[in-house]
Amino acid sequence: MKDFKEETILIVDDEEINRAILANIFSPQYNIIEAENGQIGLAATQEYQDSICAILLDVVMPQLNGIEVLRRLRLQGLTKKIPIFLITADAGSSTMREAYDLGVMDVIFKPVVPYIVRRRVNSVVELFRARHRLGAEVERQRDQLLIQAQQLAEMGMGMVEALSTAIEFRSDESGEHVRRIHDITCLLLRDTPLGNGLSESQIKLIGVGAVTHDVGKISIPDAILNKRGRLTPEEFELMKTHTIKGAELLSRIPQMREHSAYQYAYDIALHHHERWDGGGYPHHLVGDETPIWTQIVSLADVYDALVSKRCYKDALAADVAMNMILNGQCGVFNPKLLEYFRQVEPSLRKFYHTSKGA
Amino acid sequence: MDEITRKRLETIGIDVDEALGRFLNNESLMMKFLLRFPSDENFSRLKQALDCQDSTGAFEAAHTLKGVTGNLSMKSFYQQISSLVEDLRGGALASAEEKMPALESQYTQIVSILNQLS
Repeated sequence: MKDFKEETILIVDDEEINRAILANIFSPQYNIIEAENGQIGLAATQEYQDSICAILLDVVMPQLNGIEVLRRLRLQGLTKKIPIFLITADAGSSTMREAYDLGVMDVIFKPVVPYIVRRRVNSVVELFRARHRLGAEVERQRDQLLIQAQQLAEMGMGMVEALSTAIEFRSDESGEHVRRIHDITCLLLRDTPLGNGLSESQIKLIGVGAVTHDVGKISIPDAILNKRGRLTPEEFELMKTHTIKGAELLSRIPQMREHSAYQYAYDIALHHHERWDGGGYPHHLVGDETPIWTQIVSLADVYDALVSKRCYKDALAADVAMNMILNGQCGVFNPKLLEYFRQVEPSLRKFYHTSKGA
Repeated sequence: MDEITRKRLETIGIDVDEALGRFLNNESLMMKFLLRFPSDENFSRLKQALDCQDSTGAFEAAHTLKGVTGNLSMKSFYQQISSLVEDLRGGALASAEEKMPALESQYTQIVSILNQLS
């Protein structure tokens, strides 16, 4: 019984004998607070509301009567939190109905019979305690589910990254290419007005799409993918199909198609080689026909290719790479995009820790 | 509780077992309130209020008396005061006044016995 003693019963009654009888009944099990009128009862409720497990409330009292106290407790939403028992000498009066309407748990008649009062109060207190425990348990389980959902999402993301990295490895590029495209894209969306109107969760999904931008390369033969010299026109035509193949691949994986990143991933895979003037491929889209996030991935892809060593070229210094891009040597980009890119380019260098060119 | 005390309490209409039960057999707590009863001012307040035709004041005093005597299981007094409370609740001052002589003689008896105990 000791452990229940932290719980308090508030007795609000103007008659000392009533308080004494009730206190005598409950003091072995609960802490008791006594209030000799409604005003004091109300103040005590406010002060001790976290430890009060029941209120025993008299009706006829000077200052503030029981019904008025009840009304105010209800306004503060406390009648839902704390079970309130009306203790009245008047059976069958209209007060009883009003009290029930105002949210009392039970009405107990005076003069009280101890074992009945104790029984009724204890069962309601136990009910509230159980309800509270259950509520806490539900909350705990919900948190658990949220964590599991997050772990699942992270695992899914990990699989996507693993797949994309495996494909990058085939073309002799380091797996870090994929990571950097992701990081550069997200940085441009978060740190410049290019991401205006996009929520953080949308930016994360676009990041997933950036990771899978080159999955179509799985369909390109090694001989072309890893060719050291220039591609012939025929080979280049075949190389270009990695965009269409990539989008097709993504659309054939049901789990991907249902993923919230799909709409971004599909467009990025398909259009990350389009250019602002229509000079790109495969659809020769012009200007903002290509969504801004795909334009960003295109730029990140070009930048990363320039400053990294590839089978067909050496790594270039970052400022050389940037000048080439700004001069249009890698195709025409959205002028607004170029401007923001120029502004943040110095902070992109941190993604290339020890490698040359940084 | 000794037999003499018990007998005395019973002569003034107290159901001793019921009263003790209400105090969970805490006899000293019960006796504390019993012995305090003679100094309770509500009976004289009730009389005064009735003399002044103050039905609100009379109701309040009678209501309190009803509560106290109910808790102390003063059976017959409780019954009478209860019906007086209902008269006053309905504003029937005359009917309440009619009940006063019988109530007062009981009250006097109760007080005198309790005073002998203290």
